[in-house]
Amino acid sequence: MTASPFPAGFTQVQTEGFGGFAGPVMGGTDDKGPLFLMDIAYQHLNGADRLHGGMMMSLMSIVMGEVAAATAKVKDASAVTRPLSLNCDFVSAGETDERIEGRAEVTRATRSVMFISGTLAVGPRVLMTATGVYAIKAAE
Amino acid sequence: MTESDVTHPLHGRTPLTCPRDVTPPAGFVSQELHDPFEAHMGPLFEQINADGSRVFAFIADERHLRADGSVHEGMMMTFADAFLGGAAWRGSGGKPCVTMSLQASFLADAKQGDVIECRTKVEKQTRSVMFVSASFTVKGEPVMTATSLWKVLGER
Repeated sequence: MTASPFPAGFTQVQTEGFGGFAGPVMGGTDDKGPLFLMDIAYQHLNGADRLHGGMMMSLMSIVMGEVAAATAKVKDASAVTRPLSLNCDFVSAGETDERIEGRAEVTRATRSVMFISGTLAVGPRVLMTATGVYAIKAAE
Repeated sequence: MTESDVTHPLHGRTPLTCPRDVTPPAGFVSQELHDPFEAHMGPLFEQINADGSRVFAFIADERHLRADGSVHEGMMMTFADAFLGGAAWRGSGGKPCVTMSLQASFLADAKQGDVIECRTKVEKQTRSVMFVSASFTVKGEPVMTATSLWKVLGER
């Protein structure tokens, strides 16, 4: 099966290290805000031929991490964000060749901490809901 | 039933090969991996002690890192999913279990070359749900804690 092309303007995020090796995850914007896309391939699966729970949490951590970093940099271009806690709920399974849409929004940001919630979905079917608490630090 | 009496349903199937050949830490052996994503990120290691308790480990390389050189939270949670899931499965007597929820707290950074160890504990089990926690350490220092809920398939 040939995957459909990604929308115009979408580019790969976290191209190096874990993000590049685990993904690829594409990032862009639509009329609802920041949107992240990943097509489920063989290397993302578990032993039951479904999306591996670790890969699902990895994608969620990339989506929430990108939104956290972008939000912090609006106030301070040198700010860095780090996860303190992530909570991921597995709502339904992902299947090979499905395209996952990931979104996250900031619930509240203080000077040093950010609260984020995120969702992964395939069309109307939710795969995962998650919340994250991130630390905001000045660059070292 | 002890943990070692449980035979994995995938036992006997040819294990998947990892893209990287890594020497296990002293006292550990490579695990047979049957999940493509775990093989993609592996190898993963296991140590079974005389009392039957287990320690799990992986060695962080450049496939596991964030842009700043520390181990990515996604890799840490992948490692957690693999081994807390194994603990749920052994605790349930070998019934298939799927993740319902997993929470991780990130206490400190792990770096490239670190041996990250995981020790799991079944906190409670009902017929249909397993509660599993774990601590993760590098050289004995805590780097992450995790708690999780697993659904035992076919039970309610």
